[in-house]
Amino acid sequence: MNRLLSALFPFLLLVGLWWLVIIALEVPHFILPSPDRVARVLVERLPLISGHAFTTASEIVCGLMLGTVLGFAVACLIGDSKKLTQITMPALVISQALPVFAIAPLLMLWLGYGFASKLAMTTLIVFFPVTASTLAGFRAMPRSWELTFQTLRPKRRQLFWIVRLPLAIPYALSGVRVAASVAPIGAVVGEWVGSSSGLGYLMLHANGRGQTDLMFAALIVLCAEALLIWSLVNRLANRFDQNSHFAE
Amino acid sequence: MLTITNLDLSYPGHEPLATVSWQINHGDQVALLGRSGTGKSTLLAAIIQGSLAVTKDSERVAYLSQQPALLPWATAIENVLLGFKLRGNTQSPETTKQALDLLDQVELATYAHRQVSLLSGGQKARVALARVLIEQSDLVLLDEPFTGLDRSTRIQMAALCQKLLASKTVILVTHDPRDAQDWLDTAMILTPESIKGPYRLNEFASDHALIQALDGDL
Repeated sequence: MNRLLSALFPFLLLVGLWWLVIIALEVPHFILPSPDRVARVLVERLPLISGHAFTTASEIVCGLMLGTVLGFAVACLIGDSKKLTQITMPALVISQALPVFAIAPLLMLWLGYGFASKLAMTTLIVFFPVTASTLAGFRAMPRSWELTFQTLRPKRRQLFWIVRLPLAIPYALSGVRVAASVAPIGAVVGEWVGSSSGLGYLMLHANGRGQTDLMFAALIVLCAEALLIWSLVNRLANRFDQNSHFAE
Repeated sequence: MLTITNLDLSYPGHEPLATVSWQINHGDQVALLGRSGTGKSTLLAAIIQGSLAVTKDSERVAYLSQQPALLPWATAIENVLLGFKLRGNTQSPETTKQALDLLDQVELATYAHRQVSLLSGGQKARVALARVLIEQSDLVLLDEPFTGLDRSTRIQMAALCQKLLASKTVILVTHDPRDAQDWLDTAMILTPESIKGPYRLNEFASDHALIQALDGDL
């Protein structure tokens, strides 16, 4: 009970402050709707919001899965060779340095206004943290370990599967945890640039019609959705994670 | 067994270190003493990785370091047999029996099938020693293998090394001569300027003599 209270405390504090601002400053509801108004809209328009929430959730989950698989695969392909990592790293960094907002219109042009462009956007945003963390895992092996394995005269492929890859897994999982927290950005940005469904679309649509309360309701659902996906990924990652093995 | 001729230990952009020439004969067992940063581990790495300045009779070198490079999710015996697995060799019942015998010799017979992450530091060091032994290399390089272990475990490890590595050529890198005293007689000193020796290890019984030697003043 105490734990629940302490978890809810920041949320309740925020809602209290929100209410206080509205009462004290007499903010009109189309600028900042009151929490009860937002709650009412949330309940009344739940069928509408949940349909859009499902679209966004599927974009986030599918993008997260595809980005993780691609990011991990690329890291495995290049991670075993220092030279290959050096050659490909600039391209990987550029893929991250370009803001998704800048690429979004292009992705719309190439992949259309449907699911594919949002999937691409989310995948792109997930890809880099997973690749970079997995690569860091490959590079984290201490020199004394490298020397020890060298004296065992390993076959390169065996060394990769038996030693290097399992040792990189905890690092890859930290990448997936980071990726899960940024994946919603990809989906929502994609929906803003062009779509006919999703919470990003609903927020933009509500904003255009002055329905600030609906916008807030959609935002709250998006936060809850992002938090839920992140905590599920975190739980899943913890099951596989054995933390870094090099610390011992 | 091993000839090192004018091996430069310096790293580009760092303080210059010694250029080493050193001849090690078959069966020699030497402690290599030196302050941190004098290039002791670099010297061992050059022996393992090969260099134009290093000539050795056999490519088979065993290496045991402070971090024993054991796979924490695998069992003790799986770690002992890791070299066979990494070379893609099929493990015969004989090699498994040999691994069990070696674990028995390092007093870990009852822990053979225990996951390494559940073992203590001293037990891990002994698993790594069993792996060194199963590889049957003539030249064994030990890079501060007792660091981080308590005094009684260090004494136990030194006794095991003395018994089990008796027929090998051994270089033991350490900054603490007490690790070697019970076991080895000879020491070389690596300073930033040169490699000096051989000395008798008991010459460094007092801290004063050791400090003088490490400073290159002996």
